Amino acid sequence: MKISVRWLSDYVTMKPPIEAVANSLTMAGLEVEKLVPICGGKDHLFEIEITTNRPDWLSHIGVAREIAAIENLTLRLPEIDEQTSRKMPPGWKVELKDKDGCPYYTGVVLEGVEQNPTPDFMRDRLEACGVRCINLIVDITNYVLLETGQPLHAFDADLLGGREVVIRRARKGEKFTAINGHVYDCRNEDLVIADHDRATALAGVMGGADSEVSDKTRNIFLESAFLHPGRVRSTSKHHAITSESSYRFERCVDPEGVDFARSRALYFLKKYAKPRFVSSVIKVGQKPAGKNGLIHLTAGEVEKTLGVAIKPSQIAAFMRRLGLDVKDKGVGSFSVRIPSFRSDLVMPVHLIEEIARLYGYENIPSALPSLVPHELLDDPLLKVEETARHYFTAAGLYETVTFSLISEQSFPPDYNIEESIRIVNPQNKELNRLRPMLLPSLMEVLKKNANQGAVSMPFFEIANTYRKETASGKKTHEEKALGIIIAGLRYEKGWADTDSREFAFYDLKGMVAAFLETLGIADVSFSKGEYTALEGLSSESIKAGDNTVGLVGEVQPQYARKWDLESRVYYAEISLAETQSHVAWVRRFQDLSRFPSIQRDLAVVVAESVKAGAVLEEIKSHEKELIKNVEVFDLFRGGRIPKGCKSLAFRVTYQSGDKTLVSEEIQKLHTDIAKAVSGKFQATFQ
Amino acid sequence: MNPTVSEVEKEAQAQLKDIGSREDLEAFRIAYLGKKGKLGELMARLKTLSAEERRDWGREVNRLKGYLEESLRTLCESLPDASTSEGNFDETLPGIRPAVGKLHPISQTIREICRIFGRMGFAVVEGPEVETEFYNFTALNISLDHASRDSFDTFYTDSGSLLRSQTSTVQIRVMEKNDPPLRIIAPGRVYRPDTVDASHSFMFHQIEGLMVDDKTNFSELKGVLYWFLRELFGSSTKIRFRPHFFPFTEPSVEVDIQWGDKGWLEILGAGFVNPKVFEAVGYDTKKVRGFAFGLGVERIAMLRLGIPDIRYFYENDLRFLRQF
Repeated sequence: MKISVRWLSDYVTMKPPIEAVANSLTMAGLEVEKLVPICGGKDHLFEIEITTNRPDWLSHIGVAREIAAIENLTLRLPEIDEQTSRKMPPGWKVELKDKDGCPYYTGVVLEGVEQNPTPDFMRDRLEACGVRCINLIVDITNYVLLETGQPLHAFDADLLGGREVVIRRARKGEKFTAINGHVYDCRNEDLVIADHDRATALAGVMGGADSEVSDKTRNIFLESAFLHPGRVRSTSKHHAITSESSYRFERCVDPEGVDFARSRALYFLKKYAKPRFVSSVIKVGQKPAGKNGLIHLTAGEVEKTLGVAIKPSQIAAFMRRLGLDVKDKGVGSFSVRIPSFRSDLVMPVHLIEEIARLYGYENIPSALPSLVPHELLDDPLLKVEETARHYFTAAGLYETVTFSLISEQSFPPDYNIEESIRIVNPQNKELNRLRPMLLPSLMEVLKKNANQGAVSMPFFEIANTYRKETASGKKTHEEKALGIIIAGLRYEKGWADTDSREFAFYDLKGMVAAFLETLGIADVSFSKGEYTALEGLSSESIKAGDNTVGLVGEVQPQYARKWDLESRVYYAEISLAETQSHVAWVRRFQDLSRFPSIQRDLAVVVAESVKAGAVLEEIKSHEKELIKNVEVFDLFRGGRIPKGCKSLAFRVTYQSGDKTLVSEEIQKLHTDIAKAVSGKFQATFQ
Repeated sequence: MNPTVSEVEKEAQAQLKDIGSREDLEAFRIAYLGKKGKLGELMARLKTLSAEERRDWGREVNRLKGYLEESLRTLCESLPDASTSEGNFDETLPGIRPAVGKLHPISQTIREICRIFGRMGFAVVEGPEVETEFYNFTALNISLDHASRDSFDTFYTDSGSLLRSQTSTVQIRVMEKNDPPLRIIAPGRVYRPDTVDASHSFMFHQIEGLMVDDKTNFSELKGVLYWFLRELFGSSTKIRFRPHFFPFTEPSVEVDIQWGDKGWLEILGAGFVNPKVFEAVGYDTKKVRGFAFGLGVERIAMLRLGIPDIRYFYENDLRFLRQF
């Protein structure tokens, strides 16, 4: 909100410099965001952020009142004119049909107004505050609005059909043409000011074009009312119209300000528009009383909340400076009557904030609390997350943060989009689905980086995924997932390297296996899985015990090409919540054998259909006590290997916990194993 | 013309004297001990000899082989290595870096903030992002038909829920399930349908903090936040507390820090928990008191790291990620 400093000085005499005033306003909660010199330095403008709880600050008098309170100065209220005629001109009728929407309505008829030029001071001030000047009558209502915070509206009285003013609910579908030229379809919830025939104003929001005051206007009906904040807000929101008026009504105006502002406007109208006749004031309904007229407060409560002891006399003085009616009941106990312009003060804690503001937040000492034990522990999933972050960055991957919202086009083929959650009011129309997996977002990351010329692209992200429990259901499922994507070179070739190589499926599988091992999950297994975005050939589901915790595979080249990716892309996704129940943070020590180990290789040629894992299990099944480790160290096809076959080489480590093994002993066992493998898999030896 | 073992030996001895570099040495090794070297030729002649001659010939060749190998070993140690000798060592070549990854600056910032509060006994907790109006508004004393709601514009889903617009929702969830005393910190993603520009995004990260017991006060709120900000931004950081309004706290405060030539910058919002919030979770408002605070992770990361545009965070350009 724009506040003219010169205008303020009508009501309060501020001590210069103006910067200091701006600072003390900021430190009292009226944040002066900008201090701008205007009118060639003769005036200054405060640009103030006014919090929604303080509608009383939405006016020059309101801000002046606050300055007076903070600086302990006297507030001077402007002149008003309450003198009106005793009678209404014949034929006028004001009817209040919606007391909920409009508890209190007042109006006055002025006849024979002269559309004289708006006085310079008024024009300057309105323009400084960003309000366009229209004509004397409208300018006066706008001026009083900025001065008192009470919105007023003037109708051209000759354009009100039947000399009637009816405050009622709109009829459903009733058309209303506003001053801005738009036609609105009213709802039954909308409050309108109507004449005999039609709505002439969307109450508190905008006046109607049909009864607008123009240069030709000679007779006016001036309205000042208290409207229900929620009703004005609903109308303003629904029709997407915000005005200076609706802004104030929806935040709640001062009920006492209704009469004050009208009298203030009459003062100006009589002075500058010189009406021939001013009618008596018609008042319908009742001014609403404050929400809570009386609050009890003790100095003890103030000290307990703020942590600083403020003398009861000072507490009382602060509250009086704010215009509150304080009754000192002795022993630091007060009964405080709240004035009509402070509808925000309802609970004792509201008064404590007022006292703290005037005492100065800066003057409250700071103290560290003592450490009280409490039972709540860190969310256990966070430890899994942190382990993943450590592990994958150490493995050379970069962590990403991508949007949780994705477009429907980015889903993998065959994914049932209806199982994902749709945003009904997306900010970006494209991004309207909560992602059920991290893959599309990570594909986007690959695309951006590939375009940038990156040759090695290993990324991971930890974020929630979301889906509906059922396609049509309302229940949603949200869980934390770990997504890993790799593409391009394993590492960028350095000056000392002869070569790098492309990432392969088994790089990702290995990363995942080693990560799950880091979590201490003992019974991890990989089995052939089905997942549409991943190539059937090399997609596997990851299990911990009987529980599927994730998947790993190659992304379908067709899907990858949607992101213009030429290199092969591998992706894994793990549910951290599923994984968590299998985690063993503490691993038991296994004794280290003091006796030497012996390694023997076993290279076999088997049919393509024979799985390496099956051979490995067969080898392991012999003499568990002596076989410490078996690993695949080579896979070879072609050359002297017959078509349809492959050569698999295993390295077996033999070691005993209680003796040095002799070569012969091992040779016999190794030969037995070779025979068994040969028999079971029709393997031949190289 | 087939040289004898002793002829080869003499020739070799003569050549050994002239070896001055490792390259010479390697050439010599290939010439004599290589696959097609002179010793190989001598050995190959075995099959032309009689059984008796063979034994002597073989022994001689092996002796020579042993002699040459030993000589080479000795020579090798005395010869300078081209790659390590002082004159040829290139100290300007870069070291070879291990291929380690990096954490996203958002994660780094969250981790740092949680670490600081962890030292003050705050437990790290999380809550769902898909939420209900109760947790996002009602329980936080944000009335659905009041202007105070405007700063919490929200995405709604087709299943009738919403995406939380602040992490304060976690306060409510934790208080519903736990009795005081409590000290929690809740990092996470939040969503607001803001137009994206250099300082706004429709998704960003917040950290909510909450401390509840039977005796805390505004002074302690100040103490905790001062301590936190000085840990994060340095011990000489200038801080100011300014009254503000949030529906869920009373009194409320905005905290600014002084930032170079930019002057005072708003860094977080905080306040004393509004009794209405305690009522919503079924706490006895006469017995509990507490304070809460909320901060924007991106804003803090942008300040600390000097990142001018919030959009960098979500682009995940490797050239960006590698910097932190």
